[in-house]
Amino acid sequence: MSLIKVVEVSKSYEGGDGVVQALTNINLEINEGEFLALMGPSGSGKSTLLSILGGLNSPTTGKLIIDGIDVYALASERLADFRHEYVGFVFQQYQLIPYLTALENVMLPLAITSRTGREQRDMAQTVLDKVGLGSKSLRLPNQLSGGEQNRVAIARAIVNRPSLIFADEPTGSLDSKTAKELLELFQALNQDGLTIIMVTHNRENLEWVSRAVYIRDGVLSQIPQ
Amino acid sequence: MRLTNIALQNIRRRKMRSALLMLSVIIGVASIIFLYSTTQAMQEDVANKLDQFGSNILILPDSGQSLTFGGITVEAPTQIKELDMSLIPLMQTIKNKETLATIAPKLLANTNLKGREILLLGVDFSQEFKLKKWWKVDGLSKNQLPSAGEVILGSDVALALGLSPNQTVTIKGQDFKVAGIIQSTGSSENDQAVFMDLTVLQKLTKRPNAISLIETAALCYTCPIEEITQQLSAKLPGTKVTALMSTLESRDDTVSKFNLFARSVSLILFLASGLVITMTMKSSVEERTREIGILRAIGFRKRHIIQIVLAEAGWLSLLGGLLGYILGMGMAVSFGSDLMKAQVHIPWQPDLLMYALSASLIIGLTASFYPAWKGSRLDPTESLRYL
Repeated sequence: MSLIKVVEVSKSYEGGDGVVQALTNINLEINEGEFLALMGPSGSGKSTLLSILGGLNSPTTGKLIIDGIDVYALASERLADFRHEYVGFVFQQYQLIPYLTALENVMLPLAITSRTGREQRDMAQTVLDKVGLGSKSLRLPNQLSGGEQNRVAIARAIVNRPSLIFADEPTGSLDSKTAKELLELFQALNQDGLTIIMVTHNRENLEWVSRAVYIRDGVLSQIPQ
Repeated sequence: MRLTNIALQNIRRRKMRSALLMLSVIIGVASIIFLYSTTQAMQEDVANKLDQFGSNILILPDSGQSLTFGGITVEAPTQIKELDMSLIPLMQTIKNKETLATIAPKLLANTNLKGREILLLGVDFSQEFKLKKWWKVDGLSKNQLPSAGEVILGSDVALALGLSPNQTVTIKGQDFKVAGIIQSTGSSENDQAVFMDLTVLQKLTKRPNAISLIETAALCYTCPIEEITQQLSAKLPGTKVTALMSTLESRDDTVSKFNLFARSVSLILFLASGLVITMTMKSSVEERTREIGILRAIGFRKRHIIQIVLAEAGWLSLLGGLLGYILGMGMAVSFGSDLMKAQVHIPWQPDLLMYALSASLIIGLTASFYPAWKGSRLDPTESLRYL
């Protein structure tokens, strides 16, 4: 069943040398429970497509339908609510808040819910346990390794039980052992029912995903399995 | 975790930046509190000094006519209804007796010297010199008072009679030494009169205990003159107690100008503090662009971002307001009076704490609103440099 439907999406923006066409007429359907890889070289438009899929960056033309909702037809604050309810992000540089502990970082998406402090704490601790960082929950981000920070970012992405996880080059700055552990974690989450869309330029990661698409110069093509 | 916790954690873990923001509030509030307290004390001090600079209440017989003295005239003593010395201790029994800084009784009489009609004024020299602080008397050293056998002359009288200090003048058959001559004051009651000891004139005119009028300097800053005149009227039957409105208006004018100056400086400080807080909050929000991007990306609404920034500003402003109050009030109480050379004691004013907290909160929130609003409108993609 199709969870995400990308219809004729194009994105252009003003660059230093005039208008840059980042994406051209993208059409894509992603099923619920898929683990999709967005492949492509640097500057191909894969991160732009990911930000559009995540409701962060409106396309110049085209539509994004997620779970039957025309995402970019939503007003700004409803779009924020949509992101909160449906989407979990794992950013390229982890993007943790430096003055909050691992536990507090994970609790962030819950801070704007009606859950009590204890409920929030329990939920955050549970997901930290799940990503293997239960014992380091009171550490600040700068007291954690890159791989551990990445796991905190994943915990933060899943704590609110979203339908979708968007991960932008999550293994980009990790050694091969840590990268493998992380992909195993993603695979486990996917097996739990989460739909995951991961941007990567590493072909080795393809063995972990259920499907991959390739972007070059803003144009999408399927990669046969 | 609540939004306020995020703000508190930010304050707690980014101590230097939080301290800088709070410092701007502390300096602003402390300056305003210090300035307000000391200028209040200065106003009271200036008002008191102006009140002592000449009389502001005149006590006259209920009816009477006569010789001219500051608008009062005295004719033959027999026709004048007079006051007597027993009124002086009665004046000290009014409710606001501590406001009566100077009580200067006077006996007015006339005499003929070298063919000229001259006004004689019997005064209590110690009180008179307190009242007439602008007098410059040639022949008398500072703080020296004439004795019972001495007189001082107004400049016009001295000139007309050709008298100078240490010469002798005969008044109603008694010789007096000229102790000094008052430099011209521009007012006829000072320049055209002979001043002598009150009891001596009472004996010379055979009017023991008699006085013609009482000039009083009341400190009206804390107690309105109308109240003092009413209290005096009630205690002194058969008298007419009059407030000298021109003196009061002049005093009020000076004090209100002073007040206006203090308020203007406070307003400037208030605006300067607001500007500093705005700039600090603006740079703080700009510093946190990436963080705001993260929060927006994970579903925080614009109002959530505004709430976090304002909560942070609110906490720091309240704490800054409290510390600013303690610092400003402490400085004012400790050395405000000495610094301003004011003779009024500055007490701790707990009521100012509420004003300090409210003002710092208002200034903190107002100054932070624009940076907060601007921060909330940041594009999450741009904030994260996502593209």
